[in-house]
Amino acid sequence: MEAEVVEAEIVLPTHLNFKRVQMYEKYPKGQARGRHWKHLKQIIQAENYQNYPPDEPNYVNIESPPPMHPCKRICDITGFEAPYFDPRTKLRYANAEVFKVIRSLPNDYVQRYLALRNAAVVLK
Amino acid sequence: MPFISKIERQTDYTQFDSTVPIVIDNGGSYFRIGWAGEDEPRVIFRNIVQRPRHKTTGETVTVVSDHNPALLRYFDCTRSGPRSAFDGNVVYQFEIMEYILDFGFDRLGADQSQIDHPVLITECACNPIQSRCRMAELLFESYGVPSIAAFGVDAAFSYKYNQQLGICNSDGLAICSGFMTSHAIPFINGEPAYEACCRTNVGGYHVTDYLKQLLSLKYPHHISKLTWEKVEDLKMEHCYIAPDYTSEVRIFKKGAKEAEEKTRCWQLPWTPAPVEEQPSEEELARKAALKERQGQRLREMAEAKRSSRINELENDIRGLEFLLKQLKQVEENNVPAFLRETGYASKQEIESNLAKAIQSLRKAKGEQVETEEKMDASTADKYNLVNVPDDVLTPEQLKEKRKQLFLKSTTEARQRAKQKRIEEELEREKQMKLEEEKRLENPERYLEDLRAKYRELSEKVEQRKRLKTNGNNTNGNQNGSGGVGRGERLNAAQRERMRLLTTAAFDRGKGEDTFGIKDEDWQLYKLMSRDDDEEDEKSNEDEADLARVSSRLREIDPTFFPKAESGSSTAEPPRFRPLTKEDFQLILGVERFRCPEVLFQPNLIGIDQSGLDEMAGVSIRRLPCKNQGLEEKITKSILMTGGSCQYPGMAERLEAGIRMIRPCGTPITVVRASDPSLDAWRGASVYAAAMQFPNQTFSRTDYYEKGEDWLRRYQFNYTL
Repeated sequence: MEAEVVEAEIVLPTHLNFKRVQMYEKYPKGQARGRHWKHLKQIIQAENYQNYPPDEPNYVNIESPPPMHPCKRICDITGFEAPYFDPRTKLRYANAEVFKVIRSLPNDYVQRYLALRNAAVVLK
Repeated sequence: MPFISKIERQTDYTQFDSTVPIVIDNGGSYFRIGWAGEDEPRVIFRNIVQRPRHKTTGETVTVVSDHNPALLRYFDCTRSGPRSAFDGNVVYQFEIMEYILDFGFDRLGADQSQIDHPVLITECACNPIQSRCRMAELLFESYGVPSIAAFGVDAAFSYKYNQQLGICNSDGLAICSGFMTSHAIPFINGEPAYEACCRTNVGGYHVTDYLKQLLSLKYPHHISKLTWEKVEDLKMEHCYIAPDYTSEVRIFKKGAKEAEEKTRCWQLPWTPAPVEEQPSEEELARKAALKERQGQRLREMAEAKRSSRINELENDIRGLEFLLKQLKQVEENNVPAFLRETGYASKQEIESNLAKAIQSLRKAKGEQVETEEKMDASTADKYNLVNVPDDVLTPEQLKEKRKQLFLKSTTEARQRAKQKRIEEELEREKQMKLEEEKRLENPERYLEDLRAKYRELSEKVEQRKRLKTNGNNTNGNQNGSGGVGRGERLNAAQRERMRLLTTAAFDRGKGEDTFGIKDEDWQLYKLMSRDDDEEDEKSNEDEADLARVSSRLREIDPTFFPKAESGSSTAEPPRFRPLTKEDFQLILGVERFRCPEVLFQPNLIGIDQSGLDEMAGVSIRRLPCKNQGLEEKITKSILMTGGSCQYPGMAERLEAGIRMIRPCGTPITVVRASDPSLDAWRGASVYAAAMQFPNQTFSRTDYYEKGEDWLRRYQFNYTL
């Protein structure tokens, strides 16, 4: 380890005095480390919230509902108000110049703009 | 202002007695740890971990929080991006959590055998039990903590703290906007009412990500400069929330002067290309003189070499002539002995060497070389055996004869080739002269003709190239599936080849494959391969013509530019203009308020939930006990807290939004917490320092006896 790296102490030391079980004992090197952690979705599923009374607040029922206000449509490229919609690329645009730009975009840019709005076509 | 982490190792750990609790605010963006009762957390750092490999030793190390990138160059960081222990606002990766806690405790100064202080750690609202259990387990098992208090919600701590400061009342609403989520939690009598709590999954992370994507799409060539940290800095410095999105956007659309003022421009470092100034007269004269001198020197060197070579040759000639004279004086029988001494095999050899030396001398002196004469003179003796019929000669002489025949034919062939070359030269010169004349008599027409010819040739060449590459491309792509596919034989040669193959296969008919019985069948392959060669030759000729014509045009036509060789017709024309300062500017106009708008309208990034203002309404609606007075009290004290609520203009926007959804005339006051990022920790610290704190903790034995179910029902009591 280079001198300046050791001095700067950016690396976490492997043995710490105040721990009863050190990291290398807990997670021996050969095994797959992170694969057994459940993601949030799995955690929520495992919680079985339907078994408990629905009045009690839990992680799922405090989520906020979809909005009441009508959703505002803005141009994907410029951010202005966008009354128009391009059926071919499915992007919204504000005026004719923006439309020209949209039609000249290569396909991966179109998909990235759509992905901003979570409207991209995802092939799995 | 960019946030700077505080990670110095504290030295006074031992001064704190075992009853002093350690307070941890485990946030999605930053981890704050310190002692209870103090005003500021001791250690603050970003809640991420990287595990890069060291480049030379190969060991995998753990680096917590972001560090100086200069130090990280010793590590291979390509496979390990920064990872967070959170998914949303819930901790799920406890290995990473352990690294972070290690680092936190280590920097706090811990060095004894276990952490001997009670710990107060924050969590998110309505944390899933599993996460809570695991965290408790981690703290008890790995760190030996005697008792944990719990688990409090950071927004609640912040609210309590501000309530003590008098900023908000005991009944109110906390709108906390964090890294990945935002909450609206109402407080009744100082306690949070979780039944009415409301959570939307947008936070500071989404705003930064939106800004980063927008800028990358707008300025793709500066994508390397748009790192996450830089974009976060930009967001903190320049983003604001417009009081009304539509009207703000209209200002920008009109392009009024107001819009100009609101646009910010980020100039990247850029050095202009050095301008070459025209060399002055003196420069030119000096350069010419230098060149002259160099030429002179070279000439002198050549001269010296030549004269030395001439001297050498003259010496050689003198020596050889002397030898010959000696030879003449020596008698017949002693000739071989004499010759052996000098090292030459026969008299002829000496003579031929002499002749060669004389010839080179003459060449060196620059005289005409009379090769023809020499040729004629020696042909007679050299080829003396050629004309003699075979049967007269001995076997050795036959061999000689064959050698001479061969020599003769080769020399004759060489002569003929030279002749042809000379003729071709003359021909070309004549043509050039003709062209010059044509040009002189009618320059314009000549130019036109030449241009037309250039265009034709270039088109032909390009077409052929396109066919070739198309054929080659499809060939290359289809290699996996074995050979060329059905519809892609665009090249004429390939078509021809296929035709030949198929007809050859079915030539004899009658269902039998009799290809190969006759010898002529195999000529097929010769035909097929020759197809390709012909194509090449033709294309080479065309290209040579093209090159000639273009060079001619370049000489005489000042406005001609050779067409750039572009492989595909869809390539952009190359930029000829030099890069200016404007190319290196990133302009933030509409993005400044478009990105934080996501907090109020998550629809903009496709998340179908309410924004902050609506969340307040939802939360009030969900209150269990509905009476008018309570709602008014709540709206009178709305607190904004959390790191992501520090945008300028947020309070006004929130107020306007809430006013829209509440009955007319209700009093609304929106206040911001005294320090949105640190208030949660401060609140927790104050709480932990209070006297009744130990009542709220639970110890390891409790946990093991009562188990998980009890932990589920464990609720924190915020008023002490």
